[in-house]
Amino acid sequence: MKKRLLAVLMVVLAVALVFTGCGTPAANSSESAEASAPAAEESSEASTADSPEPAGDAAEDGEFTALVLPKMIGIPIFDAFEAGAVKAMEDYGINVIYTGPTTADAVEQVKILEDYLNKGIDCVVVAPNDPAAFTPVLKKAKEQGVTVVDWDSYAEEGIADLSCRQLNDEEFGKAIWDGLAEAMGEEGEYAIITGGLSAENLNTWIAAGTTYAEEKYPNLKLVTDPVPCDEKQQQAYTKAQELIQAYPDLKGIVGISTPAPIGAAQAVQEKGLQDKIAVVGTVCPNDAKPFLEDGSLDSGYLYDPTGFMNATVYLAWQKALGKEITDQMEIPNTGEKVTVEGSDVTYAPPLKFTKDNVNDYNF
Amino acid sequence: MKKIKAKSSEVYVLLGVLAAIIILFGVASGGALFSGNILQTFAFQFPEFGLLALGMMVAILTGGINMSLVSTAALAGILGAMVLSNPALDETTAITLGIVVCVGSACLMGALNGAIIACLNVPPMLVTIGTMTLFEGISLNLTEGGAISGFPETFFQVGSGSILGIPIPLLLFIIMAVILFLLLEKTPWGEKVYMLGSNPKVTRYSGINNTAVLFRVYVLSGLMCGLAALIMISRYNSTKVDYGASYLLQTVSAVVLGGTSISGGYGKVAGTVIAILVIQMITTGFNLLGINKLFTDICVGAVLIAVLAANSLKESGKLNFSKKRNLA
Repeated sequence: MKKRLLAVLMVVLAVALVFTGCGTPAANSSESAEASAPAAEESSEASTADSPEPAGDAAEDGEFTALVLPKMIGIPIFDAFEAGAVKAMEDYGINVIYTGPTTADAVEQVKILEDYLNKGIDCVVVAPNDPAAFTPVLKKAKEQGVTVVDWDSYAEEGIADLSCRQLNDEEFGKAIWDGLAEAMGEEGEYAIITGGLSAENLNTWIAAGTTYAEEKYPNLKLVTDPVPCDEKQQQAYTKAQELIQAYPDLKGIVGISTPAPIGAAQAVQEKGLQDKIAVVGTVCPNDAKPFLEDGSLDSGYLYDPTGFMNATVYLAWQKALGKEITDQMEIPNTGEKVTVEGSDVTYAPPLKFTKDNVNDYNF
Repeated sequence: MKKIKAKSSEVYVLLGVLAAIIILFGVASGGALFSGNILQTFAFQFPEFGLLALGMMVAILTGGINMSLVSTAALAGILGAMVLSNPALDETTAITLGIVVCVGSACLMGALNGAIIACLNVPPMLVTIGTMTLFEGISLNLTEGGAISGFPETFFQVGSGSILGIPIPLLLFIIMAVILFLLLEKTPWGEKVYMLGSNPKVTRYSGINNTAVLFRVYVLSGLMCGLAALIMISRYNSTKVDYGASYLLQTVSAVVLGGTSISGGYGKVAGTVIAILVIQMITTGFNLLGINKLFTDICVGAVLIAVLAANSLKESGKLNFSKKRNLA
């Protein structure tokens, strides 16, 4: 009953707004927003944020609503992110909307946010297709008291209240070399095939992994400098064949950049060397499935989109509630910890795909 | 009398669809659809798309198409943005010059399309796909794929300001729609455009200079792109080669939904305008209800097919009139 009454009140307020909105000349959007804000607070005390337009359910039932806005929807990797958003909704009992444009177009993405700002959200978690295009609308969101969190790519500097990153380069490199050592029995010769020699993120992972391995696995021997495959599976396949020929004692290949381990695994598979040569590296699970199953690829690594999004929504929620995000803060339910550096938050744990778990993933 | 009735029937069907959609979303959202903020946002959102759709419409009326719409707008926006963000110019000069460059360059790009199509007699589809790639390439070279931003504060008003309570983008759109309506449906030149779309050979033998008519059509199309670009760079306070990339096929949908014959010769500005509103209303409505964007595409597609089917069923009895109407 109470809800009904509130809804009616909202409609009346909304209708009143149409008239005031139409009546005031020039720049009325901000004026009417200011005018209605106190009214909104009076009519629904439970409302968490002072969103100026109490039209949507967010303000109506006092529930916390977060909008997660990916670059686009309808492709597997973003479905995996969505699973994390849905999980967060169930885990924390908050309202999470996951939607985005069907093409990776900044213009469409901005419009979606504009509409949802009117609907009434408390927090936006956005992966901007273009940072510059988002600046005006994100500023508007902040004026309305909406918490702004970015993920995947940064918004323009100084805009986001929190920036969530899905990978810690150091941890990621270590995880891959741990997998290599495990597959090789912690000793023997190995080589690296990388996507490109000038790719900064790939180089960071390689540097982190090799430095780590020198200390922890002294019996692992890198036979040559990283070999580039130009981000091509075919090229990685050829390079792997050459490496196997050139180093008869080779026991392991690390592929950095997603096509690299697949190409290497292909070479190993063809020569039937599954038991002799270990292949590990960064992969998308869907590409890796056939190679993991026959043992030509030993383990694959990638950031964990579902866990990451679950953590991101949790952090965004906490931030919006005014809680401080601290270093080594724990994400409830998963128990994973995050690293904080300024407004940057990193969710480190990468996913490890093996023969046993790869079928659980679809991206 | 009969003919006039037949002429506007599609527009009435569409008006019905629009009304139904508004009522549907209005009720489903508990009246939230009619709140001031949402109407305001709506009025700021659709003009950039609407102007592009009008630009598409004039091309389709002649039996052509303009595939370079979005890349014309992007390149015009980038050229304008380069002037606007030039620190050597003072604010007034930068804004004036920026607007002139943006709209002017778009007209020039339209003229290039028009010149090749009209003078060399190459199919518009091929020409505009060619210029689409050309403009895109130039844009990419100028920006290296990045965004240009940092315009004077005042320029923000073009895309976000209001005059007498009416958002400037909406005002621009209304003015252009009215001008286009007068040009196409009230002047002899407009009559020629419809004739050309209906049957270019007969038009030529009637003593009409097809080349001149076509050329102007594509300049007009370019002009619409320039204005859309102006709104876009101001609204997003920046510009980049792929802003609005999703608009291209949507404009074709809007034009066809608006009752314009895809083979040319028939179509009303009012129809296109209502179709633009229908498409934007579906998008806004679904967002308001918190429904996934994928369903927006499905719904726009379904409405498009339903309206086309309704029109075609209604016309099946008098199919032969469809192309002659405007010659009357």
